[in-house]
Amino acid sequence: MEGIDRNGQGNAPALLVSDLVKRYATGVEALKGVSLEIPDGSFFGLLGPNGAGKSTLIHCATGLAMPTSGRIEIFGNDAITRYREAREAVGLAPQDLNLDWFLTVEETLDFHGGYFGMPKADREERVEELLDAFSLVDKRDQRTRTLSGGMKRRLILARALMHRPRLLILDEPTAGVDVELRLELWHYVQEVNRLGTSILLTTHYLEEAEQLCDQIAFINDGEIVAQGTSPELAGRFGVDSLEDAYLELVGRKELSRSHLGELDGAEIE
Amino acid sequence: MSPTAIRFLTLVRREVSRFVKIKGQTIGAPLLETFLYITVFGAALGTRVGDLQGYEYIVFVVPGLIMMAWAINAFSNNSSSILQQKFQRAIDDQLSSPSSPGQLLTALSLGGFLRGLTIAVITFLVAMVLVDLPVEHPAILILALVLIGFFFSQLGVLVGVRAEQFDDVSFIQTFVLTPLIFLGGVFYSATLLPQPFQTLTEFNPVYYMISLVRYGFLGIDDIDVLLSMAVLTAVTVGLFLFNLQLFRRGYKLRS
Repeated sequence: MEGIDRNGQGNAPALLVSDLVKRYATGVEALKGVSLEIPDGSFFGLLGPNGAGKSTLIHCATGLAMPTSGRIEIFGNDAITRYREAREAVGLAPQDLNLDWFLTVEETLDFHGGYFGMPKADREERVEELLDAFSLVDKRDQRTRTLSGGMKRRLILARALMHRPRLLILDEPTAGVDVELRLELWHYVQEVNRLGTSILLTTHYLEEAEQLCDQIAFINDGEIVAQGTSPELAGRFGVDSLEDAYLELVGRKELSRSHLGELDGAEIE
Repeated sequence: MSPTAIRFLTLVRREVSRFVKIKGQTIGAPLLETFLYITVFGAALGTRVGDLQGYEYIVFVVPGLIMMAWAINAFSNNSSSILQQKFQRAIDDQLSSPSSPGQLLTALSLGGFLRGLTIAVITFLVAMVLVDLPVEHPAILILALVLIGFFFSQLGVLVGVRAEQFDDVSFIQTFVLTPLIFLGGVFYSATLLPQPFQTLTEFNPVYYMISLVRYGFLGIDDIDVLLSMAVLTAVTVGLFLFNLQLFRRGYKLRS
């Protein structure tokens, strides 16, 4: 898989976020001065409860939201002043299945490649590669609206990879996905990462983060509250697992699986 | 081809492919509607109306119908396309691409512009066969139609971007555009109206657009052609620049 040494900016991090604030017109402050660095080549997990600011951070990095203040750089390119270079380097697989109903599977990939300036011959070659990799070959002429949820999820990921991004952003890519497809996607993104693409993953499945990510950050209420490897985070919270560290973070440690046995033998009236 | 050109052409291709895929609704229906107008007002009623400003009634109404078809289709195409893409959030694919605000705006505008052009050209060709339609000032005619088409394309983009539900779009089309276009004199000459309606018509911008197109076809100049052309150009450019500012700010597109 391509993705290395293009538009190279030396050893610039894949994503560098400094003091990022996002305040919506409603007055809600979704990000309260977030700073974060995702090294080139890493598989980075961003965990946090619903409404913590994960998607807002991703939207600010991809041009879908306008930051109130602070800076975002993608491989050294400012996401606002050098948005072309910054966005060229990013592939986004959003949480919502935001496919264009008017397009077929093949057109979805082809148009995306066009939006990113890929020449026709290159697009055609890449479309074949991705249709094949995501088992979408026999669906190529089908309108996206008629696809099953799992197929839509595959197509969203294929679309994100179409222009060979150096940073792949996966916003809850396995939400509502069956076990086979989840494992299939894990294998695929691990391979993409092994070949040099940096990955930012948000997920609610902690075992997914543990399995895939080399670095994990916890975000809560618009702030990064902890960052490290899975064992480091568990150590920092004085617990045994990433899940327990997460529960400490959100203030629900009574839900820990280590307490599950405590109900055994309790009399239930 | 440069990446910038590929980006722009793909954005336009998306807009065109949308209306081509549903051509029965986007091309067929408006053509039928236009020909119904020609049949009812031109052929059926027209024979009873007699000449208007020296022209057979059917010849008098065709220029206005061509303009109206282009305007309404440019508007409704763009407003619907943008609103649908906003609903599905499919527009995020374009918004997160390296396309500039100007490229996005122009491409989204061109969808409706080209749909309106297609309908206008077909109507024109058929009208040429059916009636003896003169083209007195082709340069003014083409320039005026292009500007009008682009103006309504921009208006469609503006309303589509602002809209939060389909009612917002149909409200503007039903309660603002259609009355302005009908009362602008598509089916009659404003010079025939009694006061105060004649004076009121002069406050309707569409009146000048229809008059320009009628001047291009028939040579009837009941307005100041150069002044109208200058104002139309200024308003169209002004609206484009206004939309461009909205796109730069990400108004209702980027949160």
